[in-house]
Amino acid sequence: MRTVPLRYGVAALLAVVAGLLWVAPALSQETVVVRAKLIQGEVPTDPAAPIWSTIAATEFPMSPQVHWQKRIGSVTAKSVKVRGVHNNKQIAFMVEYADPTQDPADAAALEFMVGDKKAHFAHGQPMGQVEGGPVNIWYWRNDTPAAADMSAMGFGTLKKQAQQDVQAKAVWKDEKTKITFKERKQSLRKDPKGELVKDPKTGNPVVDEETKAVEQDVSGVWRVVFTRALTTTDKEDVQIQPGTFPNVAFAVWDGKKLESGDLKESGSQKAVSSWWYINAEPPPDYSIYLYGLIAVVLAAGVEFVIIRKVKKGQPA
Amino acid sequence: MRGPSLAVKGGILLAAVFVALKFVLPLLTAPLPMSLIYLYLFLTIIGIVVYGTLSGESTEALLGPIFRFLSGEGIGGAVKSARLAVLVLFPLLVGWQTYGGLAPNTQPPAESRTIHPAPPGEFVGLSNPLPNTPENVMMGTGLYAAYCLPCHGPKFNGNGPASDGFNPPPANFADPGTIAMLQESYLFWRIKKGGVGLSVEGHPWKSAMPRWEVELSDDQIWKIIMAEYAGAGQKPRTWE
Repeated sequence: MRTVPLRYGVAALLAVVAGLLWVAPALSQETVVVRAKLIQGEVPTDPAAPIWSTIAATEFPMSPQVHWQKRIGSVTAKSVKVRGVHNNKQIAFMVEYADPTQDPADAAALEFMVGDKKAHFAHGQPMGQVEGGPVNIWYWRNDTPAAADMSAMGFGTLKKQAQQDVQAKAVWKDEKTKITFKERKQSLRKDPKGELVKDPKTGNPVVDEETKAVEQDVSGVWRVVFTRALTTTDKEDVQIQPGTFPNVAFAVWDGKKLESGDLKESGSQKAVSSWWYINAEPPPDYSIYLYGLIAVVLAAGVEFVIIRKVKKGQPA
Repeated sequence: MRGPSLAVKGGILLAAVFVALKFVLPLLTAPLPMSLIYLYLFLTIIGIVVYGTLSGESTEALLGPIFRFLSGEGIGGAVKSARLAVLVLFPLLVGWQTYGGLAPNTQPPAESRTIHPAPPGEFVGLSNPLPNTPENVMMGTGLYAAYCLPCHGPKFNGNGPASDGFNPPPANFADPGTIAMLQESYLFWRIKKGGVGLSVEGHPWKSAMPRWEVELSDDQIWKIIMAEYAGAGQKPRTWE
């Protein structure tokens, strides 16, 4: 019988084991999920509650609403920072964004898909080839004492629900904050003689574009806290189960009054995001450690039996 | 001089398949999900076992080294230590995999979106009814600046000033993987019906693309298509 070089076998086995151990968890996607941390006691309804400073924020970029008429070219809120906590009964989200002025018509909203059907982020408008579902909108406006719990399934269908389940409280502070946004600059390219350079394919002047992330100090911050029960009896509401990933979108209106008398942003002229996610942290489940331990014991037992069998039955 | 045994060759093959699928393939194309990599490894093991058990001699060549490694007979030194390490690591790995399978998922669901889903039949094969004249391109460029530029940008690269909040981002027409590989009829469908006109695999609920048929005539849309190809320096795909 041939002599088998065991060191090669050991090397191959170790390589396979090392490869399997490489199965590491995917990189964190904290830019797309609002993590609502599980806490003990009451959820904070006050934007100034100290607990908010201990909760990590997720920042979402905002766009001017350009999807449907009437559009807007630029908006005040370039991004929103969102934090979340829950206590297995109530959930609270704090939406924070820069706004230099406090105005009666300043407003913010969270939007959720309701049920299993996908809904378009623009008020759940109908889709051509997909049967969509409704959306649930939690709306706050500075000059209105109570939040509005609303539903929509298409443009022109937005309505306040009969059963109001959402509360909101907001504070504007004239404090300095930093906002980060993309700044884009375009310039016509010129040659050393100062002549415009033209694209040989199209004949058009070549435009150079510089895009960079700019950090800017601004004064004025809104902090809006929305609270609601995780689940409600209202079929028009989003039901939030810990451990799941419901979709969420954001909207912000700068209600500043312009010299013309019009509001800078109102109605469909607002800052919006498309769909992202929320995740209410599930309560700890210690049984998974027990099942892991049972698996270790079983695997060691199987290993022992196999080795014993091999030792008994191995040919000389 | 004898080469390595069948068991060793099999181990090396298995490791090579894993390295190729996990690390080399992503350099060329999209990474494979781990479930698929495990399936390929399983099929490789099946192949090795079938090949290795074709005869009594090959069975011994395949299983002999494994049995000797497991029993620990006739080995010593570094190999003995390695055997001990493997015997300890194996149950721990099984425990870790069990824990990983039961632990709550902390990542949002993977959503694989098809960027260019098939258009409805009524839009397949349409051709631009307008001549590609400088006047039409110029008019299309003006319409593009008024309606499309905020998202798709002045350089047709999807980097418009209104693009930051949208997920997925607006299409980059300068990328050879977008309009250059599409026919004009496809763009006509996408502009006319907008994001909400996509089929389910295109995830229409996420798209910010307006349904421009509400605001633009068909002729205006065809002119915009000409302007997009001209501005991005691309040509529409044809069957010729």
